[in-house]
Amino acid sequence: MLAQLDTPTRAIFHNLAPWMQVVFYIAGGLACAVFAWGFWRRIRKYRRGRAEPRFDRLGARLGRACVTILGNTTVRRGDALGGWAHTLILWGFLVLFIGTCIVALDHDVLRWFGWKLLQGNFYLGFSAILDVFGVLFLAGLLAMLVRRSVLRPKALDYRRADPHNEACDRSGFATDDAIFLWLLLLIGVTGYAVEALRIAQGMPEFERWSPVGYALAHAASGFSATTKVDGHLWSWWIHGLLVLLFVAYVPFSKMMHIFTDAANLVFHDANAGRRLPAPPSTPGYRRITDFTWKELLDFDACTKCGRCHVACPANAAGTTLSPRDLILDLRTFANTALGTPEWLPQRFGTASRWPTATDPAAVDVAADVIRPETLWSCTTCLACVEACPVGIEHLTSIVQMRRNLVDQSLLDDNLQSALRSLGDYGNSFGESAKKRARWTKGLPFPVKDARKTAVEYLWFVGDFASYDPRVQELSRKVATVLHGAGVDFGLLHDAERNSGNDVRRVGEEGLFEMLAEENIEALRGAEFRAIVTTDPHSYNALRNEYPALGAQFPVQHYSELLAERIAAGSLHFPRRLGHRATYHDPCYLARYNRQVDAPRAVMRAVGVQLIEMPRCKTETFCCGAGGGRIWMDTSNEQRRTSEQRIEEALALGDVRYFVTACPKDYAMYTDAVNSLGCRDRLQVVDLIELVGEALEDGTA
Amino acid sequence: MNIAVPIKLVPDLVEELELNDDGSDLDHDALTYKINEFCDHALEEALQLKEAHGGSVTVLALDRDEADKALFTALAKGADRAIKVTGIDENTGTLTAAHAFRAALAGVEFDVLLTGVQAPDDREGQLGVLLASLLEIPHVSAVSEVSFDGGTVTLHKEFAGGVLARYQVAPKVVLGIQSARQAPRYAPVSRVRQLMKEASLDEIEVESPTNTSPEVRRVFRPTAGRGAEMLAGTTEDVAARIAELVLAHRGAR
Repeated sequence: MLAQLDTPTRAIFHNLAPWMQVVFYIAGGLACAVFAWGFWRRIRKYRRGRAEPRFDRLGARLGRACVTILGNTTVRRGDALGGWAHTLILWGFLVLFIGTCIVALDHDVLRWFGWKLLQGNFYLGFSAILDVFGVLFLAGLLAMLVRRSVLRPKALDYRRADPHNEACDRSGFATDDAIFLWLLLLIGVTGYAVEALRIAQGMPEFERWSPVGYALAHAASGFSATTKVDGHLWSWWIHGLLVLLFVAYVPFSKMMHIFTDAANLVFHDANAGRRLPAPPSTPGYRRITDFTWKELLDFDACTKCGRCHVACPANAAGTTLSPRDLILDLRTFANTALGTPEWLPQRFGTASRWPTATDPAAVDVAADVIRPETLWSCTTCLACVEACPVGIEHLTSIVQMRRNLVDQSLLDDNLQSALRSLGDYGNSFGESAKKRARWTKGLPFPVKDARKTAVEYLWFVGDFASYDPRVQELSRKVATVLHGAGVDFGLLHDAERNSGNDVRRVGEEGLFEMLAEENIEALRGAEFRAIVTTDPHSYNALRNEYPALGAQFPVQHYSELLAERIAAGSLHFPRRLGHRATYHDPCYLARYNRQVDAPRAVMRAVGVQLIEMPRCKTETFCCGAGGGRIWMDTSNEQRRTSEQRIEEALALGDVRYFVTACPKDYAMYTDAVNSLGCRDRLQVVDLIELVGEALEDGTA
Repeated sequence: MNIAVPIKLVPDLVEELELNDDGSDLDHDALTYKINEFCDHALEEALQLKEAHGGSVTVLALDRDEADKALFTALAKGADRAIKVTGIDENTGTLTAAHAFRAALAGVEFDVLLTGVQAPDDREGQLGVLLASLLEIPHVSAVSEVSFDGGTVTLHKEFAGGVLARYQVAPKVVLGIQSARQAPRYAPVSRVRQLMKEASLDEIEVESPTNTSPEVRRVFRPTAGRGAEMLAGTTEDVAARIAELVLAHRGAR
């Protein structure tokens, strides 16, 4: 029967015989059952992971996740086209889904109480909104189709970073992606076909409120009445069955990201990587069941968007590490070992060729699934975690697996000797602890011992600034500037140890604890108001890692202290330098601790003309030294990231100075400029050198 | 086969060496001690043998401040038993040390005894030889690539001039290890610390043997040389310069 022409509404199951409706309900029930089964298998998988408390402040977590998801802010960051397309699809999908729910509510629930929502003005508004969002939905999908098949961005190249693992190809993932996209497209298109052919059967005037459907119906008006009825019936069934297929396929495919990503954003730890978790009862991760449920969820949350893959310095250097590959390999292995909810990738892609042991749960993940060389390639720069739009915490998984490697002594000789030296002498240079403050010799003023005299600032110097001859010169400059500015500071002298920041990220947890305990004991024995450090790595440990060991001190980077003094007017510069310079944000200052303004304020104050590199502030590019890489054999890097970074600076054109604010950066980039042979074009300087130069009076 | 490894603790050269007040010895109080590098190789070889052939590894050290750390580190690496030998002067000579180890070994079952081939305070590698003689068993020095084959021990011994000999020895035997088949493994600090908390070392007190080591009256710092003159040029030039120097030197006498 056609709808009444006077009251705007439509008959649900219009054109369908009662037996057809029964068949549809049975099919729908089956689809939901398959969905529930697949969903339950996922939950069961996560429950096999280790417990981890992530349910604190649940309200705030939900609020934060809702803002991120509905606003799609993280998805659009750094990828406007893909991001906006995703936003359109998400909102289109959401509105159409809610629309379908209203239909179901109306037809399956309210009808029995004699109520009806979908009539009159409500129906007209409903029709208009769904029609418009359907178009947005299709527009987003078409943009994605163009992006994937024509533009093919580098991030979507699934070629593996580790060619040794050829057995694990990515074809199943690609097929799964294509099915996802085409299924949604077909559902959208057939939806409009159903609507158009329904409207075409009577062309009621009020259906103008479904502008797309009405226009299409108008175009179809030439069809015979039978064609319209048959066409409607066919397209209805195709549309309906595709939707049910979608529902059933969700938990076995990429579509599951709707749920896993939402959950991952709720349970994400905003401080992931900045302060690492203690190891489980075992020393590091060995079995797949050592991962926490959140980490297992991380693996499933990955949509292969490739942002981490592109941002990763280890990948840019040509090592075997790609954070994306790592997460996907762990996902595939977790699915193999703990049940296989992913159907296509599992069946035709990776897992069918996965080199598993007879008992997958007994495989050593940190040696057999992810190769040690791959795990050691990580610089712990946190770019992957920062880039990930769905809150995956790659770094904690990497460090936990490294802990297992350390426990098994699977580490290269250079790293071993650095760790031995750190254990024996508290520094990685193999030098006596007594020589730690030797760099202060030759300063025209004595440097206080904070263990003996109360000071305002305790300067935590760090290994490189204490022992590396190139950086010692910078340390003396910092001391001179602070002294000149009347800052009351002192050192721990030979009681200072390496902060353990990178030791912890290497995975040597016991050594980190030992170093931290020794430092904390020394710090407690000194009297000071705040800690100031020239080393961003120490800064992170003192600020983010030590509080968990019961030591909470106010910590400043020296650029913060200088910026403060400049703002207060107690530090002013007789000279304005006018240099054209670019600034390299240290990972541990900018990305880890969100401090990007202070160094820039100092540069402004000394009159430097700052030209930013494309990757700056929290999106800075790692020099390649972090996470213990500076102690390792790095011959697996085909293109050093420090050299890539210098090239990025050279590409800015007329820039003479490359400014650093981290001792490791200074060492790395000095080397890079030398090996690229561009010292005459670009000079690596530390921020303090600019400050020192601006403080010289003009007559000098 | 069961293996015993007596290790020596030697001054850590990262600190500058100081002489004591009367100049007869190093100022031991100003030094820190660590495992002798060759002993670390002996321990690694012992652990490798254990992993390949089974058996047990017992590590012994003479008591001094750093002995605990060295012994717990050995346990963390995989040794089965660690013995601290007490009752003797910690700065004793090699012969006295050999006597002390011999006495402590009375309570240890072993087939093969691995020592480091030499130590900074034992450049001649006497410890192994002395132990073998006190225990009245054979000794092979400058050893690498040890393996157990049935009841015998196969090994390589290095001679001067790049000559390598393959030996088959029946236990018991003392071997002076030149180098392990791989670099000594890393002992994770958390394991060492955990063992320090949970495990305990065996202590064997030995009677202090009469000090049979020679008495040292005076130790001298090495005097810096005047530096070398590098001879360059044709063979004839170099030969002429050498002849000139020899004649001049003879003349000076």
